[in-house]
Amino acid sequence: MKRICILITLSTLLLSACSRGPEPVLYGKDACWHCKMTIMDKRFAAEIVTAKGKIYKFDSAECMASYLAKNADLASNGKTLLLVSYYDRPGTFEDARKSVFLEDPLLQSPMGGNLAAFDSKASAKIFEKDNKGEFLGWAELLRSKQ
Amino acid sequence: MGRIITLKAMITMRSFCLKICLLLMLPITVWARTIVVAPHTAVASLQQAVNLAKNGDTIIVKASTYCSVNTIINKELTILGQGKPVLDACFKDEVVTIVSNNVTFDGFVIQNSKTGSMRDFAGIRLSKVQNVTVSNNTLQNNFFGIYLSDCNNIKVLNNHLSGSNNLENSGNGIHLWKCKEVLIRGNYVTRHRDGIYFEFAKKSTIENNLSEKNIRYGLHFMFSDDDTYLHNTFRNNGSGVAVMYTRRIKMLHNTFTQNWGGSIYGLLLKEITDAQIEGNQFIRNTTGVYMENTERITITKNEFKSNGWAVRVLASCYDNHFNENNFEGNSFDATTNGTLKENYFVNNYWDKYEGYDLNKDGIGDVPYRPISLYAQVIEQNPQSVMLMRSFIVNLMDKVERAVPSVTPETVKDEKPMMKPWKR
Repeated sequence: MKRICILITLSTLLLSACSRGPEPVLYGKDACWHCKMTIMDKRFAAEIVTAKGKIYKFDSAECMASYLAKNADLASNGKTLLLVSYYDRPGTFEDARKSVFLEDPLLQSPMGGNLAAFDSKASAKIFEKDNKGEFLGWAELLRSKQ
Repeated sequence: MGRIITLKAMITMRSFCLKICLLLMLPITVWARTIVVAPHTAVASLQQAVNLAKNGDTIIVKASTYCSVNTIINKELTILGQGKPVLDACFKDEVVTIVSNNVTFDGFVIQNSKTGSMRDFAGIRLSKVQNVTVSNNTLQNNFFGIYLSDCNNIKVLNNHLSGSNNLENSGNGIHLWKCKEVLIRGNYVTRHRDGIYFEFAKKSTIENNLSEKNIRYGLHFMFSDDDTYLHNTFRNNGSGVAVMYTRRIKMLHNTFTQNWGGSIYGLLLKEITDAQIEGNQFIRNTTGVYMENTERITITKNEFKSNGWAVRVLASCYDNHFNENNFEGNSFDATTNGTLKENYFVNNYWDKYEGYDLNKDGIGDVPYRPISLYAQVIEQNPQSVMLMRSFIVNLMDKVERAVPSVTPETVKDEKPMMKPWKR
C-alpha cells in the first residue's frame, strides 16, 4: 500500500512537470526574444509555446511573426501554440491563428509595425482611423514577414 | 564747406530713415499685448487668455493652481508662468496641447494627466508645429510627459519630469514621433517608462540630460537616423540606452551607470550601422555594451570600469573598431556567442594584460586576448558562473593565455597599452 502511495505521488509529480502551457509575461522584466527590448505594453505582447513546451516571449505580434518567418518548422507545426494579446483586452493571451490583425498608423505598436490583434473584424473596426486600416489574418501577416 | 553740408544731409537722411523704420514697426509693437492670468480676476484661466489673445501676444500666468483640462494653444504666443503656477488636469484629459507654431511655454507645473490604454495622454503635447520652445517646466504624475508628434525645430529645455513609476500607467517622459531637428537639453527625467523615446526622429540633439530610475530605458531610439546625444547621464534605469534599427548615431561623452540585472545593459545596440561611440563612461553595469547585428561602429576613448561584462559582441556584428579604450576591473572584458570576424581591437588598455614591453614604447609586445576561456565556458554553460574566482578557473585561464587553444584566434589586441589612457 505504502509503495503504491509513493508511486502515485511520484507519477503525479512527474506528470505535472510535463504540463505544457503559456507562461505569464513579467512586464518590465522579460525581454522580447526577437528584438531584445524589455516587454512593457500589455496591449501588444505575444508568446510561442513549442510542441515540447519551450516558451518564447515577444513584445509584439510583428516580432513573433518575424521570428517565425525565420523558423519555418516552428510556424508550420500545428502543435505550436501561438498566442497574442488583444488590444482591447490588455494582458490576455488568445490564439493568433484565430485572430484578426489591424494595421493602422494610429496603433503605435512597440516595433513600428502599427499592428494590433483583435478577436474579430468588428471589434477591430472600432479602432480604425479614417478607414485607412488594413485587416489581416494570421497567415497573411506571417507571409508579409517572409 | 560743401563736404560738411553733404555730411549733415546724410545724417538727417539717416535719422529720417530710422524714424520711418520705427514707424513701420510701430503697429506690431503697439498691438502686441500682455494678458495677465490670475485667480478671481476677469481672466482666471489660461484657456480664457488664449481665446482673448492674438498672434504675438504674451500671456503671464500668476502663481496659483488652475484647472487645465486640455488647454489648447492655437495662436503664436509667449506664455510665461510667474512663480511656478500649477496646471492640473485632475486625471480627466491631457493638460496642455500646443497646435500653433512659434510658441514659447515656460515656467509651469503640469500635473495629473489622464492615463489609460486607449490613448497616449500627455502633460504637454505638441502636434504638427515648428519653432516651439518648452522650457523650465515641472511635469509630475503624467502618463506621457512631453509628447512631440510631426514636429520640427523644437527646443525642450531644462524641464523636470517625474512619472508615476507605475508599470501599467507610465508612458515615456519625452516622446518624439516623426520629428526633425529637435534640441533636448538640460532635462531631468525619472519614474517614466522610457526617459526619452525617439521613433522616426531625425537630426536631433540630446544634451546634458539626466535620466534615472525609469522603468525600461533611459533613452531609446527606434528607426531614428542622424541623431547625436552627448554629455548625458543614464543611471539606474531598467536598462541604460537602447539604440535600435538606426543609422549614423553619435554617442559622445555620456555616462552609463548602475544598470544591473539579467538581460540588462548599459548600452544596447541592435541592427545599427555607422555609429560613433566616443568618450563615454560605462561604470558598474551588468553588461556595458551589448551589440547585435551592428556594422561599422567605432568605439574609441571610452572607460569600461567595474562591469560584469564590459562588451558583449554577438557573431552577427561586422567591421566594428575598438580603439584606445580603458578596460579596468571588469569581470569579463569581452564575450561572444560564436565565431567573431572582422571586429578589431587596437591600442586599448586592459588591466588583465600580463605581457611585457621590452622596447619600452608603451605598447605590449605580445597580443592580449580579451575573451577568456572561462567566459567561453560560461557562454555554453551559464551555471558555471558559480565557479567564478575559484582556483581552478584562474588556473585554466592562465594556461589558456599561455597556450591559446579554445579562445577565438581572431579576437585580439595586437597593440595593448601598458598604462591606462589618461584623459
